[in-house]
Amino acid sequence: MNWDTFIWFALPAMILWACAGIVVYRKKSRVLADILMVSGISVYTLFIVGFWINIERPPMQTMGETRLWYSFFLSAIGYITYRRWKYPWLLSFSALVASVFICINLFKPEIHSKNLMPALQSVWFIPHVTSYILSYAMFGAATVGAFVQMNKIHRNGISDKKIFDLLDNLVYVGFGFLVLGMLMGCVWAKEAWGHYWTWDPKETWAFVTSMAYLAYIHLRLQGDKKEKVALWLIPVAFVLLMITWIGVNYLPSAQGSIHVY
Amino acid sequence: MPWGYPKSITITAGIAYVGFVLQMAISDFNFYLLTSPVNLIVGALIVSLCLLTLTIRKAKFLKWFTSIPFSVCLIMALLILTLIMGLTPQTGTIPADRNFFTMLGFHNMTGSWPFILIYFTTLLSLGSLIIRRLAKFNIRDYGFYLNHLGLWLVLFAGGLGHADMERYIMHVREGEVEWRVYDGEGNVKELPIAIQLNDFDMEVYPPKLTIIDRTSGEPQPQSAPDYYQIDTKAPTGKLNGWVLEMNEYIHQAVRNSDSTYLEAPIPETTPTAYITMTNPSTGEVLKGWVGGGNRAQLYKSLELSKQYAVVMTVTEAKRFMSDVEVSTPDGTTKSAILEVNHPLRIGSWTIYQHGYDNAAGRLSSYSSMELVYDPWIVPVYIGLIMIAIGAVAMIVRGHSLSRKSLLIDNQEEE
Repeated sequence: MNWDTFIWFALPAMILWACAGIVVYRKKSRVLADILMVSGISVYTLFIVGFWINIERPPMQTMGETRLWYSFFLSAIGYITYRRWKYPWLLSFSALVASVFICINLFKPEIHSKNLMPALQSVWFIPHVTSYILSYAMFGAATVGAFVQMNKIHRNGISDKKIFDLLDNLVYVGFGFLVLGMLMGCVWAKEAWGHYWTWDPKETWAFVTSMAYLAYIHLRLQGDKKEKVALWLIPVAFVLLMITWIGVNYLPSAQGSIHVY
Repeated sequence: MPWGYPKSITITAGIAYVGFVLQMAISDFNFYLLTSPVNLIVGALIVSLCLLTLTIRKAKFLKWFTSIPFSVCLIMALLILTLIMGLTPQTGTIPADRNFFTMLGFHNMTGSWPFILIYFTTLLSLGSLIIRRLAKFNIRDYGFYLNHLGLWLVLFAGGLGHADMERYIMHVREGEVEWRVYDGEGNVKELPIAIQLNDFDMEVYPPKLTIIDRTSGEPQPQSAPDYYQIDTKAPTGKLNGWVLEMNEYIHQAVRNSDSTYLEAPIPETTPTAYITMTNPSTGEVLKGWVGGGNRAQLYKSLELSKQYAVVMTVTEAKRFMSDVEVSTPDGTTKSAILEVNHPLRIGSWTIYQHGYDNAAGRLSSYSSMELVYDPWIVPVYIGLIMIAIGAVAMIVRGHSLSRKSLLIDNQEEE
């Protein structure tokens, strides 16, 4: 399996996810939604496994490959979180965003060579990237949740405690993964480049992002106070996260970054 | 009103303001003033100050100083300063075109006064909070202790220890012993560590093939060049309208005669492929060897026409390694194969494979190593491990990790 055969897995997966994302709103079809979603994830997983075997290294180097995992974890974790909290929007949203990333891979693939440079050949590579992508998926879901909550406050004048519970959990779990990814990056950097933190532009932006989520966590410790500020912090933090992930490569301040491949 | 945001915002902004004034008045904070033993004294001072706050545990000031609003403000201050840092190229030195932003220290954020003042305030606030909570130790607060104490350790040891860190580059020729190194400014220094390079070797990935314009050297088609990645499992490809078939590939080849290549396990070899090129529109078929060149062998291309030829791209390194013997004055000797991601530790020193003569590739006559002296690494790593365990707790427990302990805390406050 390679990028040429990707479409034959991606298309069925996207169709299955789309169907799941629609039927989930009919209370009677919840089981059908489960089946559709799991089948979609399975088809997609099959491609990743085959692709991994074919290229003989973990597919985690190029942007295209990172997006491959992002779609996978978004759909998988979106589904798990949906099962836990029973919010249908969570399923549709994660299916939609997962599909968006598949489409980017289909239409703008940026397929790079399969050669892994020596600095990337490390045991920390897979856990570092995987941990970050898990946190991205959590924060992506939290961002939508924040907008839903804002809408509730706007309409009812009062926040939904259940949604805040979900948001706090998503941010805590996402932050846990973000911190783990960062720490593994530190240890890896020490092994490969001699220092655990050099304020490389990617590191600086990762720090900025973590501070934003850290501020949310602390604001929420005071319960109902400063609800709106906390809610707004989530989308702001997500924008910062996107800059860290994608935007850094285009910033003039990052032209010497060792993270730009 | 000890818990207020207005007060916290005002004071945080005030600290940053003082920082900016200092920055404009006396320019960058010189981090190397903190070289040992100064950093030990400053560190002891910070710890004592944090411990001293135990005596004013009930004071309104301390409650505010360790409160959530003030923490949030400090976090936001760090966020804003590092956000500016992320948007401004960090040149470190004062640029020639001095403007308002460089006067505020934006080009060297971590060495600027506002950042330093916020950093020290964070150390004190976080430190006092930890002491306050440790005084009423409760095992259910384990998440709090791990995350906060871990972070404090990393900030403390990472920041104060920065001035004690030394990094040098050493170039060692094969078969020779070296102890002279270069620092960041290119000054030569002699170290109490000697490295003998027994052998340098590298492995390369199979390269790619492409069609170039023989006059300009540009890969074709110019807008989006075609490349065939050599892969014995996928021996066919398309290059600029031609169909390529790879009949034979020798990863380590030496030229045997004008038209033949042999496999040989020596450094002078280069990857070589025997290919058949077919032009589907004209039916033209061409066969021949294509090989990369190096200092020992000339490259070999396959001419398609007067204008175009098939060539091999420059090889990319897969691994490069140095077989070394390191000795220190106390008589310790260690042998190791240094490789990227596989450094050697000897005392407080760590030795890294850094580079080689890129133009010579596998034939490089020397190997470059980076020597890093970092005596504060142990407390930093303890901090990192504590945060890691705290992060796992966050993933498993979600927000119930902190909610309970805080409620208990709040009840006691009331």
